[in-house]
Amino acid sequence: MTTTTELAGAPVRVSGVTKQYRDARALDQVDLDIESGEFITLLGSSGSGKSTLLNIIAGFTDCDAGVVEVDGIDITKTPPHKRGLGMVFQHYALFPHMTVFDNVAFPLRRRRTPKAEMVRLVEEALDIVQLGHLGKRMPQQLSGGQQQRVALARAIVFRPKVLLMDEPLGALDKRLREQLQLEIKRLHRELGITFVFVTHDQEEALAMSDRIALLRDGRIVQIGTPEELYEQPAERYTAEFLGESNLFSGTIVNGVLPYGEHGSIQVRDGSADGAGSVMVRPEHVSVLRPDEQVPVGCNALRGTVREVIYLGSGRRAEVTLPDGTHVVARTPADRRHSRLVPGEPVVVTWAKQHGQVVADGPPADEAAIPAGRAAVPA
Amino acid sequence: MSSSATTAPDRRAPSRGAEPDPRPAPPGAGSPAPPGKRRRFFLTDGWGALALPIAGYLLVVLIVPLAIVFARSFTDPTLGLGNYAAFFASPIYTDVLVNTFVTAITVTLITLLIGFPYAYLMTIAPPVWRSVLLVVVLVPFWTSLLVRSFALVLLLRDTGAINETLLSLGLISDPITMVRNFTGVLIGMVQVMLPFMVLPLYATMRGIDRRLLQAAEGLGARPAFAFWRVFVPLSAAGVAAGSLLVFIQSLGFYITPALLGGPDDVMLGELIVQQVSTVLNWGFASALAAVLLIVTLVLLAIASRFIDVRRIFWKEQ
Repeated sequence: MTTTTELAGAPVRVSGVTKQYRDARALDQVDLDIESGEFITLLGSSGSGKSTLLNIIAGFTDCDAGVVEVDGIDITKTPPHKRGLGMVFQHYALFPHMTVFDNVAFPLRRRRTPKAEMVRLVEEALDIVQLGHLGKRMPQQLSGGQQQRVALARAIVFRPKVLLMDEPLGALDKRLREQLQLEIKRLHRELGITFVFVTHDQEEALAMSDRIALLRDGRIVQIGTPEELYEQPAERYTAEFLGESNLFSGTIVNGVLPYGEHGSIQVRDGSADGAGSVMVRPEHVSVLRPDEQVPVGCNALRGTVREVIYLGSGRRAEVTLPDGTHVVARTPADRRHSRLVPGEPVVVTWAKQHGQVVADGPPADEAAIPAGRAAVPA
Repeated sequence: MSSSATTAPDRRAPSRGAEPDPRPAPPGAGSPAPPGKRRRFFLTDGWGALALPIAGYLLVVLIVPLAIVFARSFTDPTLGLGNYAAFFASPIYTDVLVNTFVTAITVTLITLLIGFPYAYLMTIAPPVWRSVLLVVVLVPFWTSLLVRSFALVLLLRDTGAINETLLSLGLISDPITMVRNFTGVLIGMVQVMLPFMVLPLYATMRGIDRRLLQAAEGLGARPAFAFWRVFVPLSAAGVAAGSLLVFIQSLGFYITPALLGGPDDVMLGELIVQQVSTVLNWGFASALAAVLLIVTLVLLAIASRFIDVRRIFWKEQ
């Protein structure tokens, strides 16, 4: 087995990278500093530019402007085969005419590794992905999960300092995906190299990453640890993209957002005044009956129960406020919601420190949106 | 023929898949439905009747005549192996046989050399150009073989358009002889055979996932290395299909070599026609036909040791 000290990662720096396609700007002045050995995820919906950014790092796509550096060396103009990066594709891209062993050996043959050394490295890589016994199979004799493990072994066998992964789990079913997520995390720990992972699945990003870079319309909206992005989204888009959120928009004055005729919403101390939204995660919202006492330091809004759903791990209650807004509350191991019936008057409450102020962010009408695709109001 | 791939231990079958696996195969993988069961079902449910017209037609126009030819080669003019003895006794005839195969092999190689880059160009060309390239390949199909061969004679002869042009430009002082010799035969046959090479090649290449080339480059392979190690092996099935089609058709060529070839370039097809229509030696002509057919089948059997012939002609991908 490989030890971490043997394989060190390398930092990746992307600065000012811009890519313009005929009718759309895929990337707009993107800066990204990836630390050596970090697991970073490029997260975004389709068309956000995440795959374009990965392909620019890999060298499959040229950028119009900007610089890509790996290990402090400018590789912007270097062809892909000289960049020495490992790459895993969504569609596996195994060579169908080669055995599993030959697939994994491919990067080594190219590098003219001595035979004995090559055999050792290939077997080691196959052991790492737990396919040591399948070297003589052809790729099409393997399941999807096994094929993607072969692709992983092939990408790490030549010990690259950076491993790029383009939605590697996108073609797998949910159970297999979760299993491979764990394996990729383990691989990252064991190898100690830099992982750049592209996905549109926010749960996957939260589960795997050291840091997440959320992309939207060719720009990085926010970059930070999964906790930072989930708990302190800077923009409304981040709050909506990662997990479920309740958002109340308006103008905050002295830490208070007036909310219609039903009262006001207090936000966390020290939050800036101005136009914006207050975000509350459903797991921080409680639903009380009108006669119950609202705890001190909590916001309270009256409404009526719309629906209660049993999720197994807890319950999800949707409450409609008088202005038509729906507030979602998620409660684990709490039997209270089970007795709620649709139409029942209730009070939703949350502690004010759970109210996170988020900027509204740019509306989706920038030049980055392809012509003909209408901006959809959030 | 079918199990031959396993009997060539050191040769990797160039065709995709069908690789023998020494390990026990996973259940269901690659094992076809029990043949007996399938056949009984197929024949009893009535759909088999759909094959009757063509089966009957082939019986009348192919099987029966072939049987007659074979019978005649042993009976005409007298019972015995006289016709075959005559064939192998004379170097004139065996030379024709050798020449036939040399010509067919040369034509196959040249069409492959020209057709491979052409088919590759078709796969990478934008749709409009792809259509243009396809039409260019198909035009020969829409023109009479006889007309094309005569046109080539006019074009290639010493006083033809090519030689006249080169002479008037001062590039050559004497006309280049391009008809009534081997060169003429090759030019004519390659031109006729190109579609049979290009179309199977294109069909195979179109199915190759070009992202595999990208993957290879991402793993450190130079573009040329990726092409030779990934794209070329994956197009092997098309190479084999096209080559077999061209080779087998070339063996039986008659019109083109007759018009464009010289006295030294006689192919077996011409010899048969001569025996039938000029010498009226039907028995000997039959023996020639039988020799051609048998040698072709033997070569196919040998080829099937190295390539999966079934895949080329009827096995689905």
